[in-house]
Amino acid sequence: MSEDKQQVSRRQFLNYTLTGVGGFMAAGMLAPMLRMAIDPVLQSTSSEGEFVNVGLAVEDITTTPQRVDWQIEQVDGWYQSKPGRSAWVYKDDNGNIIALSPVCTHLGCVVSWEGNDSHPNEFFCPCHDGRYTKDGVNIPGTPPLAPLATYEQKVENGILYLGKAISRKGA
Amino acid sequence: MQWIKKDMELYVGSKEYIDTAIIPILPFQMSQEGNLSKSTSKREILSIFATEIENELSGRLLLIPNYYYLEYGDKVEEMERLNKWTKEIQAQPFKHVFVLTFDSGWKRYEKDMSANLLWLPGFQAENPNSDELRQMIRGQVSDVVELIRSYW
Repeated sequence: MSEDKQQVSRRQFLNYTLTGVGGFMAAGMLAPMLRMAIDPVLQSTSSEGEFVNVGLAVEDITTTPQRVDWQIEQVDGWYQSKPGRSAWVYKDDNGNIIALSPVCTHLGCVVSWEGNDSHPNEFFCPCHDGRYTKDGVNIPGTPPLAPLATYEQKVENGILYLGKAISRKGA
Repeated sequence: MQWIKKDMELYVGSKEYIDTAIIPILPFQMSQEGNLSKSTSKREILSIFATEIENELSGRLLLIPNYYYLEYGDKVEEMERLNKWTKEIQAQPFKHVFVLTFDSGWKRYEKDMSANLLWLPGFQAENPNSDELRQMIRGQVSDVVELIRSYW
């Protein structure tokens, strides 16, 4: 029976071994490249995490702008912080939710709704008397040159989530 | 605006809009261990306070780097130094210079101070990042902002 046993020659043995080792090396090089190529697919689920629950129910939003404050986690180099964010949130006449950034486009102060008695129904910047209409558009003749930024927003289970602030072009 | 490179570039470009400065003054001491936690929590909270005020009025207000003094040291001497700071700032020119403190001991020297003294009642908190404290600070900050605006 022993002569039926297949003999492996030295040459064959070396070939098998080299193929095996070479295969491992190729796999080791290809795997990170493949991972990088399909990276955007794997990322898509986590990018939604940029939206933050600002602790405001949709039914509590009225046509009068109200200020909401929340915090985001921010890692800037080695420095981790929880900077605060704010928004003025209201429903427009069509019932759409509007979330405006309160940062004045002039030099960055925080604007307030009806912050000045002589300018009702407007956003008012206390620093240099900048004014914006209710939809956040700057009023010509006042220092700001661009409208207030709007926040990306979505509603889930009746709770408002806000994302990044998007600046708008000047009026 | 803060004393950082990015803000200072903006400041140089729009100097005519920025006429108010705030100097937070903070006590430092290590000799009385019993009071260490009080001293440090004052420092943390005053820093948060100053940053919040700056955040609200950043377009017209410059937050000066913290000024430290010895808590049990000679206040007359410190005040002379502080007045030099004020002079330097006012020369830029800044119309309004405020000194922010939790230390009521400065009240006695207010008349010799060339800046406006903004004394706030200090409070202690276990955790300066807690939500209650944040709410409390926010409430006080809006009052202080009103006060500063009354000078404009």
